[in-house]
Amino acid sequence: MKHTIILAMASLAMLASCNNFLDEDPKDQIPVDKAYTDASSIYLNAVANLYNYTGGYSDGQGLQGTYRGVYDLNTFTTDEAMIPTRGGDWYDGGFWQQLYLHTWGNDNAALLNAWNYLYKVIVLSNASLETIEAKASLLSAAQHKAYTAEVRAIRAMYYYYLVDLFGRVPLVVSSSTPMRDVSQSSRSQVFRFVVDELQESLPCLPAKRSNQPGNYYGRLTRPVAFFLLAKLALNAEVYTDDDWTDSIRPDGKQIYFSVGGCQLNAWQTVEAYCDSLTAMGYALTADMADNFSVFNESSTENIFTIPMDPASYTNQMQNLFRSYHYRHASAYGFTGENGSSATLEALRTFSYGTDSVDRRFSETYYADTLRDLQGQIVTLQNGDTLCYYPWDIALVLTGTPHMATAGARMHKYAVDLTATKDGKLMNNDIVLYRYADALLMKCEAQVRNGEDGSAILHQIRSRSGMPDRPATLDNILRERMLEFAWEGWRRQDLIRFGQFTRAYSFRPQLTNEASGYTTVFPIPGTILEQNTKLHQNYGYDE
Amino acid sequence: MKTQVLVCLTLALLGGPRAYAQQTADSIKVGYASGDQKSIAGAVDKVSQDRMNKGLVNNPLEALNGQAAGVSIVTGTNTEAMLSSVRVRGTTSLTGGNDPLVIIDGVQSDLATLSNIYPADIESFTILKDASETAQYGSRGASGVIEVATKKGSSSQLHISYDGTMGFESVYKNMEMLSGAAYRQATREMGLDIVDNGYDTDFPESITRTGFVQNHHIAFGGGTEESNYRASLGMLQHNTIIQTIGNRNFTAKFDVMQKAFDRHLTVDLGVFGSFQKNKYIYDEQKLFYSAAAFNPTFKRGKNSDGSWSQYSDASQITHPQSLLDIKDHEDNAHFNTHLKATVKLARDLTMAAFGSFSYNSISLSQFMPTSVWSHGQIYRGNSKVEEMLGNVTINYNHIWNKRHKLDVLGLAEASKQVLKEFHTQAQNLTTNEYGYNNLSAAAVRLWEATGSAYEDPRMSSFMARASYMYDERYSLTLTARTDGSSKVGRNHRWGFFPSASAAWIISNEKWMKPIRWISNLKYRVGYGLSGNLGAIDCYKSLQLAAPNGVVSVNGTPTVTLGIIRNANPDLKWEVKRTFNTGIDLGLFGDRTVLTVDYYTSKTSDMLYMYDVSVPPFAYDKLLANLGSMRNSGFEIGFGASVIQKRDIDLNINFNIAFQKNKLISLSGNFNGEYLSAPEYTAIGSLNGAGFHGGYNDIVYQVVGQSLGVFYLPHCTGLTKQSDDTYTYEIADLDDDGVVSLEDGKDRYIAGQATPKVLLGSNISFRYKDFDISLQVNGAFGHKIYNGTSLTYMNMGCLPYYNVSKKAPGKHIVDQTATDYWLESGDYLNFDYLTLGWNVPLKGKVKYIHHLRLSLSVNNLATITSYSGLTPMINNSVVSNTLGIDDKRNYPVYRSYSLGISVQF
Repeated sequence: MKHTIILAMASLAMLASCNNFLDEDPKDQIPVDKAYTDASSIYLNAVANLYNYTGGYSDGQGLQGTYRGVYDLNTFTTDEAMIPTRGGDWYDGGFWQQLYLHTWGNDNAALLNAWNYLYKVIVLSNASLETIEAKASLLSAAQHKAYTAEVRAIRAMYYYYLVDLFGRVPLVVSSSTPMRDVSQSSRSQVFRFVVDELQESLPCLPAKRSNQPGNYYGRLTRPVAFFLLAKLALNAEVYTDDDWTDSIRPDGKQIYFSVGGCQLNAWQTVEAYCDSLTAMGYALTADMADNFSVFNESSTENIFTIPMDPASYTNQMQNLFRSYHYRHASAYGFTGENGSSATLEALRTFSYGTDSVDRRFSETYYADTLRDLQGQIVTLQNGDTLCYYPWDIALVLTGTPHMATAGARMHKYAVDLTATKDGKLMNNDIVLYRYADALLMKCEAQVRNGEDGSAILHQIRSRSGMPDRPATLDNILRERMLEFAWEGWRRQDLIRFGQFTRAYSFRPQLTNEASGYTTVFPIPGTILEQNTKLHQNYGYDE
Repeated sequence: MKTQVLVCLTLALLGGPRAYAQQTADSIKVGYASGDQKSIAGAVDKVSQDRMNKGLVNNPLEALNGQAAGVSIVTGTNTEAMLSSVRVRGTTSLTGGNDPLVIIDGVQSDLATLSNIYPADIESFTILKDASETAQYGSRGASGVIEVATKKGSSSQLHISYDGTMGFESVYKNMEMLSGAAYRQATREMGLDIVDNGYDTDFPESITRTGFVQNHHIAFGGGTEESNYRASLGMLQHNTIIQTIGNRNFTAKFDVMQKAFDRHLTVDLGVFGSFQKNKYIYDEQKLFYSAAAFNPTFKRGKNSDGSWSQYSDASQITHPQSLLDIKDHEDNAHFNTHLKATVKLARDLTMAAFGSFSYNSISLSQFMPTSVWSHGQIYRGNSKVEEMLGNVTINYNHIWNKRHKLDVLGLAEASKQVLKEFHTQAQNLTTNEYGYNNLSAAAVRLWEATGSAYEDPRMSSFMARASYMYDERYSLTLTARTDGSSKVGRNHRWGFFPSASAAWIISNEKWMKPIRWISNLKYRVGYGLSGNLGAIDCYKSLQLAAPNGVVSVNGTPTVTLGIIRNANPDLKWEVKRTFNTGIDLGLFGDRTVLTVDYYTSKTSDMLYMYDVSVPPFAYDKLLANLGSMRNSGFEIGFGASVIQKRDIDLNINFNIAFQKNKLISLSGNFNGEYLSAPEYTAIGSLNGAGFHGGYNDIVYQVVGQSLGVFYLPHCTGLTKQSDDTYTYEIADLDDDGVVSLEDGKDRYIAGQATPKVLLGSNISFRYKDFDISLQVNGAFGHKIYNGTSLTYMNMGCLPYYNVSKKAPGKHIVDQTATDYWLESGDYLNFDYLTLGWNVPLKGKVKYIHHLRLSLSVNNLATITSYSGLTPMINNSVVSNTLGIDDKRNYPVYRSYSLGISVQF
């Protein structure tokens, strides 16, 4: 008897103490090592995996950034668009008003989310580069070079967004950087890093179109890098300005880049990279709207897009859903949120309500009486016609007669009736970069460099059937709103033109704002509390 | 709301209520050990049948509510199947693992499994509160242990019993919003265009009904000295006061005991199982928000063509009745079998082997018809859990010289769980006719909407425990337990959790004998460590690659694998150190008993998803062991048999617990670096139209404060605007000349969300065969944020969202969250009143030897100054609903039930 017990005790003790018993052997996930076993799995999981973050579907994620993400910080902080408070709707604890009024505060959750999102992709890119290095023996020399270049370019792109939004940010190039080594670089240092990384990657990136389905669909190919380099050079005066509150800005003519062995100033650099795009065959489509059609993959103009297809990809765009009035959305079988609208400045720029209204207005906005896709008038619940009242827009509409219908709404993209998720998951690829922008960048660079930009301005305006205007900086800024409204460029444009801090409708200039401190967002308060070596940007409370 | 007086049938097998008092001397089984309650040195409270609640009881936890000091039970909102939250001595961990461990007849389980047991099958609850006793359960016992002993067969003759309850539930308090006429008037005065469909509908009322409850239970058993058995079947049905919502539960239980080999071997076999069908509200907040705020001029019920009149201008809500077309159903099947063989090896030595197997299958089915969800949606999911546990114990009991009593216990245990889960969601329905039964009727299946998972956590443990008692006066208990878990990092696999406790039974001292009115006086003290892993899921210490999304690779949509979280290879046990001391006092032959306990505990290496800095981390959350927290408290239990006569009994019991919690730190070292936490971390905010983001954070975690504090701007009053509306005037607390609602600016800590004092009390009175019993529970010292009033008092919501009946009187057009709507959460709730009649049958009726009829009213009334529907909201679980009443409360209702109990 006694022996049996001892045996029983002992065997149970063995079982329980046996270390294998307590070892984990996950079956629904795999150890990271198993994800990188050959060249194709390394490409898949170390390189292609990063493209998941270009789009995405949860709040704040994605470069389309349309739910309190990158896009909203670049759009609803400007004179291009706003989300007004409509009675009980859209007050949201003051969030949208703060963006519009530039009183966002250091603890703004959207700023923290944008920061965390951009750095997440950077840290994961660092990890990918380390994986590619560690697994180099599984790769051919060409694969090693190509994979490395693609990841470095992706990382540079995310740093570009960071330097644009937050100015002085930490340069972190390893996934195992200890916290004590995370400290800020100056804005110009980060800027130079981005330019160098892109330029070094350039020769190894495929010279292929990224917006068309096929092997390069949605990828950071050489033309995408050209576009980014042009943007960086165009904003070089801003990005090399390490103290943006001292009202002294470096001169673009004095900022040099090495392009194809030549030293070019910022404006010449913009022109050179834009010319590279022209040389690759990019061309304006017949109509601006062609770039935003349901099946816009064949556009000759789009450079970098987020692939969309309800059956295949998971990326979503909130933008249209958020703008449509409820009855407008339900006319397409969706639900809407009745939010974002054009500002008075946008209406004036489009000459809305005059005989000379810009032809692009109706492609960009829904205004006045609304008709569905069959041409039928859309009605409100009380039987009245749904009519948007663009001029009635105000930051707070509560209690006004057109509380729900004030404001011109977002159009831009063709309606995809097959879209799911209330129209957020549609077939139209989301347009991030397009050739018209490259052309207007070149035009602006020409003017800033003392050259004549009228040919390009003519090219852009005549495509939309609009008469010529002199190629002045003012007209170029105006043209950029006409062409790129709802495309997320306005904040950067206004800053470059020195107009971001001025007062506009419903927005007085803040105290001290003339210094330019609001042209860079504050480093999120949470980040400063977690990493005490970081310093707050000029003009904001520590 | 009209109140119906109704008939009912309540169970209660039991005779009339008896006091607390008379149970203290019972023998008690605590964990793996057993002894008599007199010698126990830890804080242990045994609630046997007499002390369980006697009102309408649909769930074992309801039977326990208010009966034990320091045990707080917040019943899940109205459907009993919904998990109640139970806290033993408050919240001691930031993430998960705060639910006490539940042991049912030796089977380690949880609160959900407890609902598989029919309340009348429960013999007793034993609650182990401090570490000197919970140490027996090592890492699983950190949040307290509730041991449930079920009824077994007895060696007496055959007995059969039937209990039945039938009752009704009726709403007595609901949201009062503007009527159709008042809505028209208010909007006219404000010059607003409205959509007027000409009706006048009370939408809050439109989704309710008279609830119905019926419970039936049959048990029979019998046996001899050598063997016995007991079998029972139960059925519980509850149709709640919300239309279409309710549940049904079938339970079955069978226990058999057999002795063999001259009673050297005892075999106990138990089987219990249940099948629950639950119909849930898909989104409580959306339903109750819609019911309150929907345009009252709309039609009640469907249109003649079968559609609902939806109000398109109110985007955050829908026709409340249409939301009841959503199906959110759960089938939950549970089965357990366990076997225990006890061998008497020698006179003082026994050995027992215990094995248990449980299987739980939960299937979820959801159906969103096209009338409420654009294009419609179906969700189906299934999860299955198998759990195996085996242990061997050796027990040595010896008494020598009649004065020395030694009890030694050794344990080895191993357990393993296997969890398998899958789910899928499909959209764009062709027809609503199939409900959720045919996924093929949906056209779209998105990548992220389908998934599956597998986990197999394992644990093994060893324990030694020795208990020594000298002369029935001094006792000392030492426990040492070590646990190994697969979930923690490789280098921290084993945790060691020792404890010690001592008791001095003063009343057994010779010099106390003359003081005859003191029947029991005992002093107890104990200290111990316990571990907690509740927060950790499997594989959290490993760096893994998981499917991450779909991208175009070589022209084909392809799933890529990626790193989806920060890994922490150093994950280890969260440790709680508890000190407990207490006094038990019994007077006049234990007719009056008093128990007083003081405890203090410190949780360190606290597991939590900490906010970490990006960069260097890729993700902003890291599961780690960093911070610490302190809990302390004072508990008093009192019971008195004020009158004890042949025809009259009066018993008064009450317990009161004072609890204090302090978050000491959320910072610490990780990987050789100090990680500091932000000063203010929001954990709860408001929802609904116009409340997304911005300055809507209400409840925060702040180091140095209690867990869950209100951190708000201060409102000095209402200010009249030029248009005669009012707004909240906000104080410039930091005196910098600018009002800023940012954290660290014009905000202050305005109170805590968790109660400082919990009260439970029961008064019972018997006159001859009639008895009456009243249970009163309360909570004090905490606050509630009335987000419901903030929302419904804002006239700016008109005309899209209806407002409170009181709103036009104040004419506020503002929805800024300030302390204006922070109110005291104190309440005293009359849980139930039961009237019982033990029908005197003695000798009059053959076979029936006991018959009891009872009448109960549950949730009789609440005394509170809180202006919302009910102050009984989440005040203990750290989640985004902690302390915030935000448009999601059920209407308040009473239950009336009649019970019958027959024993043959």
